[in-house]
Amino acid sequence: MTVYKGFLTITRRNIHMMFLYLAIFLTIAVMVQKMTGENTADFEQVSLDIAIIDRDGGELAQGLAGYLGQYHTLVDLPDDPSIIQDRMFYREVYYVVTIPEDFQKRCLEGEELLPVTKVPGSNSGFYVDQQIGTFLNDVRIMEESGFSLTEAIDEVMESSQEQAEVTLIDKNGFGGERPIHAFMYQYMPYILISILCYSMSYIMIAFRNPDVKRRMACSSVPARSQNFQIILGYATVGIAVYGIVTAMPVLMYGKTFLNDPNMPGYLLNSFLMTLVSLSLSFLIGTLVTREEIISAIVNVVSLGMSFLCGVFVDMEILGKGVRTFAQFLPAYWYEIANGILAGNSSLSPAQQTSLYTCYGLQILFAAAILGVAMVISRIRQTT
Amino acid sequence: MQSTNIIQIENLVKRYQNLVALDHLSLSIQEGEIFGLLGPNGSGKTTAINCLLALLKYDKGTITILGKEMNPNSYDIKKQIGVVMQNVAVFEQMSVRENIDYFCGLYIRDKARRRQLVEEAIAFTGLEDFTKMRPKKLSGGLLRRLNIACGIVHKPRLIIMDEPTVAVDPQSRNKILEGIVELNRQGTTIIYTSHYMEEVEQICTRIAIIDHGRVLATGTTEELKQMIKTGETITIEAIALDESLLAGIRGLPHVFDLSYEDQTLKIRLGTARHNLVRILNYLQEQDLSFGRVFSELPTLNDVFLEITGKELRD
Repeated sequence: MTVYKGFLTITRRNIHMMFLYLAIFLTIAVMVQKMTGENTADFEQVSLDIAIIDRDGGELAQGLAGYLGQYHTLVDLPDDPSIIQDRMFYREVYYVVTIPEDFQKRCLEGEELLPVTKVPGSNSGFYVDQQIGTFLNDVRIMEESGFSLTEAIDEVMESSQEQAEVTLIDKNGFGGERPIHAFMYQYMPYILISILCYSMSYIMIAFRNPDVKRRMACSSVPARSQNFQIILGYATVGIAVYGIVTAMPVLMYGKTFLNDPNMPGYLLNSFLMTLVSLSLSFLIGTLVTREEIISAIVNVVSLGMSFLCGVFVDMEILGKGVRTFAQFLPAYWYEIANGILAGNSSLSPAQQTSLYTCYGLQILFAAAILGVAMVISRIRQTT
Repeated sequence: MQSTNIIQIENLVKRYQNLVALDHLSLSIQEGEIFGLLGPNGSGKTTAINCLLALLKYDKGTITILGKEMNPNSYDIKKQIGVVMQNVAVFEQMSVRENIDYFCGLYIRDKARRRQLVEEAIAFTGLEDFTKMRPKKLSGGLLRRLNIACGIVHKPRLIIMDEPTVAVDPQSRNKILEGIVELNRQGTTIIYTSHYMEEVEQICTRIAIIDHGRVLATGTTEELKQMIKTGETITIEAIALDESLLAGIRGLPHVFDLSYEDQTLKIRLGTARHNLVRILNYLQEQDLSFGRVFSELPTLNDVFLEITGKELRD
């Protein structure tokens, strides 16, 4: 088993890089999980500094000012566009509502939109838009139902004091929240691709050195045995890396992870991703001939695939075009499977079908990448 | 003592499309020899070695090593062959000792025996102080020695060395050559190819000159020298020789070739007595003053030049 031992010796030479990638992975996983994982079920209202320029002065205008004042800090501002612009530029005010004359007639009965000025790119501004729309709609409905304007405004103000209790449906056994270990599994393709592609490509280049190959071909160990030992080396490193990345959620989250009914699903999904990563590493090792560029290529592949397939950012945030493209990448199907596992404790038949489809596609990707790598390798051998 | 053929190559033909790399090449190498394979670039040396090692398929002919036909699956034969490639074939990621141990492991399974052989190879190549170093840190000479150590560590019966001293400083080269002779003294048969004629002349017991994939001559250095017309080369430093004088020298007995360049006259003569005296007398008769005079017996370079019509490094 000399070739196998040699394979492992060369792997040991790269172990520092493996731990470096593991450290990066753990840091990202823990950081992102701290930032997002603990607050998925909380909702917090945002209070902005807003100004109301009241050119109407009527009862409805005062009602709207009072309504918005419940949620936001009202800032006094003169009706001067240049001052408004200055104050917005220095972020002393984020949102300015200009209530026109004949407000009631134009905006309540005539459904004319209120002129507003917002800080560009402000997400919170959208929230104030919604509040204004809600206020006007509610008053309109009240009036149409026979209430006077004063009564309608009072009713709307009163109902706005009431707080609704929201309970998330517990579909996954974690109170509707995303289980904490699901975040770690979300980032796992990055670490698997990085570690395996880096270490395996490095080894592949060493064994594919034509002079070393010639010397080995002259030896008394049959070529078949040499290939078998290299495959065995691949399997050993693959299993070792899979073992390490699987041990991390167990060590960090213990029973939470172990008691998750979808735990076997996570294990299978990440195992299939390990196979994909091994195939990918074989392909990179076949294509790349210089050690110096391995790192660059591995970073492009691992980071590129991670960003495109929703490893680092939730898939919902990705554009439609990106998601369509990502379907041609194996990590996309891993993330879809991970999403199904994270969101449901018991899977419906449709979800099960989707999950198995994701698993199957990962196997197909692994086989296809391996096939391409072998064809390239064979072509290179014969030319 | 009757020596046995360790390698028998008969009518070997290897074509690369229209190019004939080996053209009915035949060789027989006896056990205990240091057999030199001499030939210019593209003459077919490396192709012949690749066929010999079953790294290349050939179109015609037979190769027999240790009495058995050689093919890619002849692992029992391969076990008895050591290979030292022209390029250094080691793993950059392994230390000197790990490399030697790895390549030894491809032949020797027994751990204790392997450990002993590795130590012997390290001592033999003088790498004791560098065992923990990676190849990248080694000088060119040390790297070549590591390359040799990896090829000979399993103590093979036959070692094939393809230009093992390329780009090696003279000191390291001498060490390597001494090592090769020592290996041979221990009973190993060696096939040696080199661009350096003096190396081949120094260590090889028998030499084959090949060109265009054919063996042009085989024999010991002395036998090869006797095959050529040149028995002596006389070099004379002389100023301003004109064409009529050169024609006169050409007409002297046993002179078959001469050249005059940079005020140096080089005369090739056949084997005969008093060649030098005859030439000097002629120059005196012509009242020609001359400087230093050298007389040299033919070298392997002369043999090569006369047989192939070109310098080895052409």
